[in-house]
Amino acid sequence: MTAPQVLVLPGWHNSGPGHWQSLWASAHGYTRVEQHDWQRPLRGDWSARLEEVVLGCSAPVVLVAHSLGCLLVAAWAAHSRHTAKVKGALLVAPPDVARDDLAAHLPGWSPPVLQPLPFRSTVVASQNDPYCNPAQARTFATAWGATLVDAGDAGHINTESGLGDWPAGHPLLLALMKD
Amino acid sequence: MAKIFCIANQKGGVGKTTTTVNLAAGLAKVGQRVLMVDLDPQGNATMGSGIDKRQLKLSVYDVLLESASIAEARAASEKCGYDVLGANRELAGAEVELVDVERREKRLKLALAEVDAQYDFVLIDCPPSLSMLTLNGLCAAHGVIVPMQCEYFALEGLTDLVNTIKQVHANLNKDLLIIGLLRVMFDPRITLQTQVSDQLKAHFGDKVFNSVIPRNVRLAEAPSYGLPGVVFDASARGSQAYVAFAEEMVQRIQSM
Repeated sequence: MTAPQVLVLPGWHNSGPGHWQSLWASAHGYTRVEQHDWQRPLRGDWSARLEEVVLGCSAPVVLVAHSLGCLLVAAWAAHSRHTAKVKGALLVAPPDVARDDLAAHLPGWSPPVLQPLPFRSTVVASQNDPYCNPAQARTFATAWGATLVDAGDAGHINTESGLGDWPAGHPLLLALMKD
Repeated sequence: MAKIFCIANQKGGVGKTTTTVNLAAGLAKVGQRVLMVDLDPQGNATMGSGIDKRQLKLSVYDVLLESASIAEARAASEKCGYDVLGANRELAGAEVELVDVERREKRLKLALAEVDAQYDFVLIDCPPSLSMLTLNGLCAAHGVIVPMQCEYFALEGLTDLVNTIKQVHANLNKDLLIIGLLRVMFDPRITLQTQVSDQLKAHFGDKVFNSVIPRNVRLAEAPSYGLPGVVFDASARGSQAYVAFAEEMVQRIQSM
């Protein structure tokens, strides 16, 4: 049985060195999907980039997305013919991109794709995420057919949340990597 | 033979779609046969040409995926006087679906070759991205028209676009060049705009079009009526400026 290749999908502005995604990538050898422009995220460009990286991977692949990366997974999965390569996706802190203040900065990302993902997925959401309230996070999880995990009061589940390498999160990824 | 131009800028909100539909209408007005291709999944150029993107049975998406020809997928905008190869959100899928198909950058070029004799101008409204959609536009085109506002950061969006154009020119389309920069939403009362405009001319010389499109409320209102300003209110200053620009384009291509 081949061990899954893990692709790390950061959100807007990329994940810095102290972000759990970066710490997981360096500790476990996961591959970051590098976007051409982290400051000005365009859904089409980001989706095409993910498609290229997935095409270059041998199956199985597991995706670990944070924030806008979660919506990227949904947008990409709606159109790619290669979703069968993906074994599962961990989707952490998806933002409510249709909210006025976010939509103004992220044109082209709303409405977000809300259709069932063709692979197993887990959405992790916190109770006090400034970019997404718990009800909207539940809407995402339901639409994508994902298991919803409550991260408690963990803000946007990023570097500012002070989670370090987010030890509570990694077992959720390992669970998706198992058969 | 049709002259094919992309209207592109990597920065959003610079009047790209307004330029596409008004140049198309202006060219039609001076007797040119025009096809407008909407390559932006937002479909604003389609709606702004009087074609309801939600009613499209076939679109540029089908052409790129080679399930329809342009002759099958185009619609005639009778009010505007030009043909429209429309777009809607379905096109967003093409950005992913085109990644692993054959001749992925050349699909629009090949499709346009079939209708080449039917038009004098083909104008392509490119999305503000560097994706396979923009690449299809750039591969098909003879040149790029770049609308810009004369603002402090005007050149910011240009770097990526110029690099992309250089790469496409070197690898995929030897014909491609920047035809010119079009100053849009121009207000000569604002000193900074005049200064930036002078800098553009000093830096880019005759690559800056003589025509200048003024900031004009009628141009801004026209899209909500599903029409280019040139059709919505032909007497507005902005509309007249676009017709003058169309005439300048006709003259430019005679020397190309």
